[in-house]
Amino acid sequence: MDRPTTPSRPPLRSVLLRSRKHTVLGVDPQHLIRWFFGGNASIAVIVLVLIMTFLLREGIDFLPTYRHELQTYRRAGLEFCDIIDQPLQQNQTLSSSLRQAVSASLETLSKSARDRRDAAFLLKRQIEDKTTQTSESLSQALEKTPPLPPEELAVLRSELQKAAAAAAASLTYTDLFSAAEREQLQREFAALTPEVTDLPPLLQTLAADFTAKDREARTKFASLVQAQEEFEAATEPLQEVVDELKQHAQETKENAVEFEVLETNRLRLLEAAAKEKDPVEKASLTKEAEASFTEAVNLAERIQAITSRATELREQVEKYALVIEKAAAVLPTDAGTGVARTMVNDVRAGIPVHAQAMRKAAAQLDSWRWDKPVSIFTVVGAFFFGTSWITNSSWQDFFGFVPLLSGSLVIAFIAILIATPVSVVAAIYTNQFASEREKELIKPVIEFIQAIPSVVLGFIGISLVGNLIKDVSEWSWLQWIPGFPIQERLNMFNAGCLLAFMAVPTMFSLSEDALNNVPRAYIDASDALGATKLQTVFRVIVPAGISGILSAILLGLGRVIGETMVVLLVAGNRIAIPDFSAGPGAIFQPAHTLTGIIAQELGEVSRGSSHWQALFMVGIVLFVISLLVNWCARAVARRFEPHKA
Amino acid sequence: MSADSAAKTTPPPVVQVRDMDFCYGASKALFDINLEVKYHRVTALIGPSGCGKSTLLRCINRMNDRVPSARVTKGEVLVKGKNIHDADVDLTQLRKQVGMVFQKSNPFPKSIYENVAYGLRIHGEKNKNALDEAVERSLRHAALWDELKDRLSANALALSGGQQQRLCIARAIATLPDVLLMDEPCSALDPISTLKIEELMSQLAREYTIVIVTHNMQQAVRISDFTAFLHLGKLVEFSPTEELFTNPREKLTEAYLRGTFS
Ligand SMILES: Nc1ncnc2c1ncn2[C@@H]1O[C@H](COP(=O)(O)OP(=O)(O)O)[C@@H](O)[C@H]1O
Ligand SMILES: [Mg+2]
Repeated sequence: MDRPTTPSRPPLRSVLLRSRKHTVLGVDPQHLIRWFFGGNASIAVIVLVLIMTFLLREGIDFLPTYRHELQTYRRAGLEFCDIIDQPLQQNQTLSSSLRQAVSASLETLSKSARDRRDAAFLLKRQIEDKTTQTSESLSQALEKTPPLPPEELAVLRSELQKAAAAAAASLTYTDLFSAAEREQLQREFAALTPEVTDLPPLLQTLAADFTAKDREARTKFASLVQAQEEFEAATEPLQEVVDELKQHAQETKENAVEFEVLETNRLRLLEAAAKEKDPVEKASLTKEAEASFTEAVNLAERIQAITSRATELREQVEKYALVIEKAAAVLPTDAGTGVARTMVNDVRAGIPVHAQAMRKAAAQLDSWRWDKPVSIFTVVGAFFFGTSWITNSSWQDFFGFVPLLSGSLVIAFIAILIATPVSVVAAIYTNQFASEREKELIKPVIEFIQAIPSVVLGFIGISLVGNLIKDVSEWSWLQWIPGFPIQERLNMFNAGCLLAFMAVPTMFSLSEDALNNVPRAYIDASDALGATKLQTVFRVIVPAGISGILSAILLGLGRVIGETMVVLLVAGNRIAIPDFSAGPGAIFQPAHTLTGIIAQELGEVSRGSSHWQALFMVGIVLFVISLLVNWCARAVARRFEPHKA
Repeated sequence: MSADSAAKTTPPPVVQVRDMDFCYGASKALFDINLEVKYHRVTALIGPSGCGKSTLLRCINRMNDRVPSARVTKGEVLVKGKNIHDADVDLTQLRKQVGMVFQKSNPFPKSIYENVAYGLRIHGEKNKNALDEAVERSLRHAALWDELKDRLSANALALSGGQQQRLCIARAIATLPDVLLMDEPCSALDPISTLKIEELMSQLAREYTIVIVTHNMQQAVRISDFTAFLHLGKLVEFSPTEELFTNPREKLTEAYLRGTFS
């Protein structure tokens, strides 16, 4: 009876109007949710911008501060001294080589005599150590003023003799001595008493033997010895002048810095006084400011004391250069041993170069001007291309970036060189050849590496990898490897190995993803043409995934450059540009890094100092490098991925 | 006529499928298939989707081997008289003899030249001249040479859809296979590209034996000499195309052709 009726439709107008029921404070919840998500995304962007601003704010002042410091360095005359002092450092190296060569040469003749003498003296010392108590009580007894009765002394004496005899018998005599000599030594040692200060006769002979041998050696290598002595002597007058100037410059600098501190203090007080309303307070502030007043250092006058000696300095340098060149000319071509001979030859080659460098430096003295302003470009150059990072120095702080950058780059390079084949090969294997069960094992294991705290890895690097590398480097059949045997357990190679280990998970996972993303259709096509599995993998899958693999490598590089803990613990922290003249073996040298230096020094410097600001500059550069690497990774990923387009 | 010339006029079938059952794991996909593919003829496989056309096609070059647990459970497949499941058959050689073109064009992200040369390279051809010749011949056969001869080093992915599919055909025929398997090669293409490929196929049929899966019955009529109709994994009817379309033997075929199909 009631037929189904079509439900009446609402009037059009009310349909089109927005429903008011589901609004929160008059806002559609859809919008709220959108804002919520959008807000979270933008927080990330905002934080990034904040980080950048913060870094820039702290770091950008570095340039003016450093400029000011370099200006003082110049005006006080430190720079002038360094013109000569820097190349003069080479003198130390040459001189030490020469000294080593001389002693190695002398040893060829005198070594056995010296060893015999030293061994005998060592034995004597051991006897004396063992009989200290008895011999001391005897000497005390002997010194008593009413002298002790002779029988008591005799008792003490016999005790000492017994002790000495026992000690002499218990010693092990090296086979440097013949049987007869051993016997004689034992006898003489047993007879030691505190009253006799003369050496036992055999010891005297041994000492005399050595002296004779040494004299003989010195006559045999007379020319070498003489050259060495001349070389050392030549340095002295020049060094004296330089030291004198340096001291003067140092004083100037200290005074200038002190004046600056006081002056800023005074100005600040005056400013405060100007603002102060209370007249009593105001008066006291003004008084304090006046107390802080000091005479400005007359730089022009003080520098006069240094520059006026330029001519003298130049003459000294010339004299020095002449003398050492003469010394080089008379250096004998022969030395006692092969090692000594190469050392002498190195020195012979090194001296003219050094002399030339000294002359060149001396020539610069004239054109040096104390009041030449330090341009901002010089400062930027001094930071980015400066080759020394010297802080807390009593002489002058330098903030040169190159040693840190080179350390970071070499370590990153080693790490990537090791990690790339490992992770890419592992990714190819896992993605293409491994069975399901193997995949289930390999992937979590490699990804777990990421969970290892880097400080633990650093620990492993110090305690395990370092020793391992050092031990391996001493194997005789590996000596063809440049840099072997290594000197330092903590070095760039060690850090590179550990960083490689840390980078593997990132690079492995991303490479594996890249291979996974290679379209199935390519594999179908290759299979259908009769390709073997290996051919498909290496001719189709890997080339098609190469962009993903490259970007994985770049992201790994980003990870490696930013890593701190491991390099801080393991890289050896020597702030110096690796000596690349050593060839590839340079990777076994210690170094410091951009990240390590910040972690190590930031906690110790005072806020706002130039050192603090320099560290922030390093941070900025690090940040920029990371951005660049990531950007490259993205660009690469897009560039070679046509099947994703 | 001598027996010799008789053999020439009717060469032996290139592909023979005999009493074949095929299973994906526990579920049977093909039942007791018998099929003979004639030398230098186009054979079309038609049927509703899911009936096993692709599966049958992939049995001929053993592409199903890659599906774990998929296997022929009964019968045999012969290519040029040789059972392709014999232990002494080299799979790479089989696939060199039996080329395949897929539904969706899939050139490698390499240059046009490298795409065509790929099949030869993986079979060990290193001679530059031989490769050049093969590339030119294959592209000419695929009617692409005139369009592409000036940009052989361009990336193949920059080509249009139809060109890509023809490039895939060129790639498949570069190794001079005896049989060319095509799985709905035109289904993703516009009508003009489809037409070009159909023209191409009638050209190719002079030199190759073609097995083509198609959804489009007009296409089957236009290009094929023989047609096989499959339904639910069974080969319902297999006869010369004209006969099958004008005078089907089976009711099921007729129903399918009419479109009154449940
Ligand atoms: N890889 C596979 N694994 C399991 N079953 C499959 C697979 N491929 C196809 N099948 C099944 O086999 C039957 C035939 O498929 P297919 O040959 O692709 O049909 P057609 O190409 O005729 O549309 C379908 O029922 C399908 O579900
Ligand atoms: Mg299909």
